[in-house]
Amino acid sequence: MRAGYATRLSRIAPYAFMAPAVMIMAGALLWPLAHSVWLSFHEWKLGTPQDAAVFTGLENYRILLADPDTLTSLRVTLVFAFTVVALEVALGVGLAILLERPIRGLNALRSIFIMPMMIAPIVVGLLWRYMYNEQFGPLAQLLFMFGVEESPPWLTSPDWALASVIIADVWQWTPFIFILALAALQSVPTSVVEAARMDGARPRQTVLYVKLPLILPVIIVAALLRLIDAFKVLEVIFIMTEGGPGLSTEILSMRIYKTAFEFQQLGRASALSNLLLLLVAAISVGLVLFNKLRERAHASG
Amino acid sequence: MNHKHIAAAAALAMLPALAAANPYQPYAGTTLVVSFPNHPHYDAVDKVLPDFTRETGIEVEVDKLQYTKMRDKQLLEMAKPRGDYDLVAYVVFSKTDFVAKNLIEPLAPYFLNPALADPDYDPDDLIDVYVENAGLVGGKKGYLPGPTAGLYGVPFGAETSVLAYRRDIFDKHGLQVPATYDELLEVACRIPELEPGMGGLASRSQSGHQIIHAWLLHLAPLGGRIFDDHWNPIFNQAPGVQAAETLKRILACGPKGGAGQGFGGMKELFLQGKTAMFLDSTVVSGEVDDPNKSRIVGKVGWALHPTGARRGSQTGGFGIAIPRNSQNKEAAFLLMQWLTGKATDKKIAHAGGSPNRKSTFADPAMQRRFPHFAVFGEALKFADADWRPLLPVWVGELKGMIGPKLSDAIVGDAPIQATLDELAERTRRVMQREGFYTYQ
Repeated sequence: MRAGYATRLSRIAPYAFMAPAVMIMAGALLWPLAHSVWLSFHEWKLGTPQDAAVFTGLENYRILLADPDTLTSLRVTLVFAFTVVALEVALGVGLAILLERPIRGLNALRSIFIMPMMIAPIVVGLLWRYMYNEQFGPLAQLLFMFGVEESPPWLTSPDWALASVIIADVWQWTPFIFILALAALQSVPTSVVEAARMDGARPRQTVLYVKLPLILPVIIVAALLRLIDAFKVLEVIFIMTEGGPGLSTEILSMRIYKTAFEFQQLGRASALSNLLLLLVAAISVGLVLFNKLRERAHASG
Repeated sequence: MNHKHIAAAAALAMLPALAAANPYQPYAGTTLVVSFPNHPHYDAVDKVLPDFTRETGIEVEVDKLQYTKMRDKQLLEMAKPRGDYDLVAYVVFSKTDFVAKNLIEPLAPYFLNPALADPDYDPDDLIDVYVENAGLVGGKKGYLPGPTAGLYGVPFGAETSVLAYRRDIFDKHGLQVPATYDELLEVACRIPELEPGMGGLASRSQSGHQIIHAWLLHLAPLGGRIFDDHWNPIFNQAPGVQAAETLKRILACGPKGGAGQGFGGMKELFLQGKTAMFLDSTVVSGEVDDPNKSRIVGKVGWALHPTGARRGSQTGGFGIAIPRNSQNKEAAFLLMQWLTGKATDKKIAHAGGSPNRKSTFADPAMQRRFPHFAVFGEALKFADADWRPLLPVWVGELKGMIGPKLSDAIVGDAPIQATLDELAERTRRVMQREGFYTYQ
């Protein structure tokens, strides 16, 4: 009898201990999500009470998917997110490999490299908007010193604006990949590197065939985190271009903001948020599966 | 009864009158929170607000925001059961949206209340077209004056459009001040040839609200409208295309780095001497002759908005209203009345703000100090209250949809006619969805 009670208790205990955390998670995560799904089936205009929301079924989704601007925004988001992550991974890993070796003043250099990451996104937006100012900005002045009198229309031409905001994001977030890649590189066992060297591998070959494969899982996780962030970025673009000129930098998060606050369609904004959530989840799951398959192939191969 | 008694009795008899003479007394010590834009007129208002507190004992706390972002916060505040704002300034196009959502107070009950309404307020002295544009809701088309309209706000920082030009540059090259759109474009594109490094005309062109404003500024004088009287979009007809082409040409002949500017950036280009002309709000006049803000002090002449198919200057700027969820509505009304009264209007004009009263423009002392008031008064006769549709759907969804596409066509290379045709079709679908064709 006593033993049975103890067994039962030990079976319940883990759930009892988890319950508060699960409740908090449900309250803080699932409830807003459920509310957002509920809202996406309603038409609710900003500035009206919630009981004025009218149930419209899938109408919000239908309007969004029939709107060519949503598709433009989706295209801009994909180009932005994949380009920034590719550039950040290439630059971050490259810098980590270069700065892994012991060089004098390395610590100071590392600290300087990670500074952009510590700046608030709003400030980064303001900083780059100033950098790109065609009349007074440092870039315009630098170009002027080299004899270029007309500054490129960094943020004012639809052809340039996306590239300009990509540069700002790469500037801010390359350090994130850099510190993770550097930490991973430093954790590569020296014995493996030395074994490769003794087998006659040149430094380039050691990096390409020994170090990079070993740090790849870390890089994939870092890239995934950056990708999720890049899909949701708002502040920098909000400050620099507000999605313009035209729709050239109107990533989905900017469009969600505009749908909620400019168009005042809270239901439609929720529907768009849910679509973005699905997109990010699909891409994340895809990448995680890809990594698992790769590891399995690697293990069996 | 001796003299002392008579004096005491007289004093006693006057007590109620004395108490009534100060309408502010019941509200002394109250703190009003107001939402104002970051804008030259409201910079001038900052300078007179301490006088209000000194005269009335009512404190005022100003929450200043960039004017195109102000509405988001106001809507969120005003949708709460108890709001923090007691008085809000709004760009005139928000008036119908606020009223449709039942967020601001009708003002008639306050003007009816003898304990609040100042008999010397003289509402007839307020500039009519400003009141129509900033304050009246429910008349013709919902946003124009008419027998069914009611007053929800008072113009404060309202404006019309005028042409400001550099007299020194025009005199130097013997240029005529443009009176028509053809002349305007010709002069705008000659300036960069005559004065290397200087642009012809400063213009807004930032994607979204700003480029729509710039296009509409030319659309009405060139004979166009957004909708016909039955809400059919007609902005893709000839005047719409002509207005877009005009704006494109103005930008091409504009100053270096002039693309992508909002109102503030455009104003700066003119004040810093980078352009020879400025065709936009009258509010720029408050800064033109301020040596701390302007490099063109004493060099500016003023003229009417050039004529196209018709003469029409814009009407815009701000009004002020009392949120329904304010906790201090009476005191807020007193502040509104004080700010828009005759004496304060002059004070604000002296500090660089825009007058909202006829008496300020007509005052000989004011005219001596601000000679351009004569031109402004003339411009007001041609102010067009229907130059843009002040509908909630316009302010929200339509402006958000049209702005970026217009930017593609004017700043980018998208074909103008095809872009406007596509936008007209999409506008029709939105209007259909919003029920504007119910009676068709």
